[in-house]
Amino acid sequence: MSLSEQISSDFNLYAKQAIKDEFFELRQNAFAQFEKNGLPTTKNEEWKYTNLRKISEQNFTTSCTSSLDAKSLLDAGILNKIECNKIVFVNGCLFPDLSVWLEDDADIICCSIAEARIKYKDKFMAHFGKYAKIEEGLNAMNTSLLSDGAFVFVPKGKHMKFPVMISNITDAKEQGILQQPRNLIVIEKSASATIVENYVAIGNHPSFTNVVNEIFVDENATLEHYKVQRAKGETYHNNYTQIFQNGHTNINQVTLTLDGQWVRNNLHFYMNGENCNSLLYGLYIPDGHQFVDNHSRVDHAKPNCFSDEKYKGILKDQSTAVFNGKIMVHLDAQKTNAYQRNQNILLSNEATVNTKPQLEIFADDVKCTHGATIGQLDEEPMFYLRSRGISENEARKLLLNAFADDIAEKIKIPELVEILEAEIERKL
Amino acid sequence: MLSINNLHASIEGKSILNGINLEIKPGEVHAIMGPNGAGKSTLSAVLAGRAEYEVTGGTVDFLGNNLLDLSPENRAREGLFLAFQYPVEIPGVSSTNFLKTAINEKRKYHGQDPMEATDFLKFMRSKMEEMEMDKSLTSRSLNEGFSGGEKKRNEVFQMAMLEPKLCIMDETDSGLDIDALRLVSQGVNKLRDGERSFLVITHYQRLLDYIVPDFVHVLYKGRIVKSGDASLAKELEIKGYDWIKQEVEAAI
Repeated sequence: MSLSEQISSDFNLYAKQAIKDEFFELRQNAFAQFEKNGLPTTKNEEWKYTNLRKISEQNFTTSCTSSLDAKSLLDAGILNKIECNKIVFVNGCLFPDLSVWLEDDADIICCSIAEARIKYKDKFMAHFGKYAKIEEGLNAMNTSLLSDGAFVFVPKGKHMKFPVMISNITDAKEQGILQQPRNLIVIEKSASATIVENYVAIGNHPSFTNVVNEIFVDENATLEHYKVQRAKGETYHNNYTQIFQNGHTNINQVTLTLDGQWVRNNLHFYMNGENCNSLLYGLYIPDGHQFVDNHSRVDHAKPNCFSDEKYKGILKDQSTAVFNGKIMVHLDAQKTNAYQRNQNILLSNEATVNTKPQLEIFADDVKCTHGATIGQLDEEPMFYLRSRGISENEARKLLLNAFADDIAEKIKIPELVEILEAEIERKL
Repeated sequence: MLSINNLHASIEGKSILNGINLEIKPGEVHAIMGPNGAGKSTLSAVLAGRAEYEVTGGTVDFLGNNLLDLSPENRAREGLFLAFQYPVEIPGVSSTNFLKTAINEKRKYHGQDPMEATDFLKFMRSKMEEMEMDKSLTSRSLNEGFSGGEKKRNEVFQMAMLEPKLCIMDETDSGLDIDALRLVSQGVNKLRDGERSFLVITHYQRLLDYIVPDFVHVLYKGRIVKSGDASLAKELEIKGYDWIKQEVEAAI
């Protein structure tokens, strides 16, 4: 059975026993869209370099069962090393034993989607499905058959004391796994939160993780959002993150892609008010036959907003990376400041980068720059270090670590940065 | 310490050094002067081991080693130090980490254990005091955002940390105002201990007012055409390079 056939059959099973409420309607719509559009192919400009064939032909199982105990799951993640709120999903299903809640303010909500849509129905339905576009095949697939995920709700004026780490652990020890995590983050006016998405995997069977995040940030609110991809093995991962921000909001988003056979990140910012400040940083270090695609889009819809995007890649072996960044400056968005850079270092003759920085500007009073570089390490710094007695190998390591740490350090959780810097060193 | 014998070198097929002979003994300070294009910077680049220059003839002996056979890092580990005319900015690499790596790589080469972190920091602090370096240096990225003077002082500070046997200074005075020049020279003079040798490459005499050389050589068209003591530099300051050029042309 192909993936599309599997989704059809699973949805029909689900539809038979589902309660026919507003939530179901949304999913039914999404399923209709999925049936109509199917999975994207390389004929679609946005998927030109990114082939889903390997995924669409696989046989995956949707299954909550994991033979692993809490202890081995803890060890697989970075869960015990950072003091933060934790909500953990294994193969898409909530694993309550590992959850940790440190906030003492009872108004702040963090629970599973399954719980939220019943217990916090109004708050949940006010945002669910409002931002992620179901015209996208994989979004439609997620919306119609989502596994579960986190609902984080920070009410007006509240500041979370600790970050929330949403961990997804893939256990593909026994069989191939399909999971569709779905997270909804709502930061109300003048509130603030830090969210970490943490992906890890164990086992040798293939897995496909198809994530959708919807994030709503209301006026004067602040969000730190980090995505860390460390799912080793034959893992396929698609992540769609839609951030909808109102005026006077500050968002710092960092995407680190270290492991994963096939990773596609779709990051979309929509600036729906004036004086928004959005930072998008990314780092990818593929090796072997890894494939990493970072697609981003920043919509400057209103005047006086600032966005800064910097994605860096270090490619080894036969790995491939794609960068596609689109900055869309709408007619109304005067006095926009938008910057975008993509820098790549190729460490192998067989590695490939396809990069496409794009600017579309409809306003006439804006300041925008974009650019991309692909190359080797510079000769001058190499020689300078060697002339001080540092071997070629050590010099390369120093320079590559510096190149990568520049992005890792955008994460404002020192313990996490320390772990990631060690991971980066391992990859280099 | 350093013995250069009939050294020839070229870049992209163009011959730049045409038979250099130079002998530097421990503790000596030699200055190499010369007009633009004489081959001064090529000489320092060849000695430090820049790959883009091709040595087409001659030998260089450094403390009993065939210098030209050594990689740039091994030249440094044997005790050669090149102070760059344009020190390179390396964002993201802290000065502390850089120096620790350099020192420990050298120790490894000589079969010594790496320096303990606390010993290293103590050593670095004492050298910073000695060389009157600003404390903020330790946390800053290597040369990043440094002014011209700060970069040159940092070169001399690295020299103090790495304790080389022979220091080659490539146009260290270029781009420095008089105050910075004095500070840099003071640093260099602190490192003169009767054993350490210096090869000071400069276009102008003014640096040699502060770092007084034992010998001055004039380089022209890739050869040393005149040698003397510090007074030769003064003479060049007054008369310029033209009279030497004429002398050379006349001899041919």
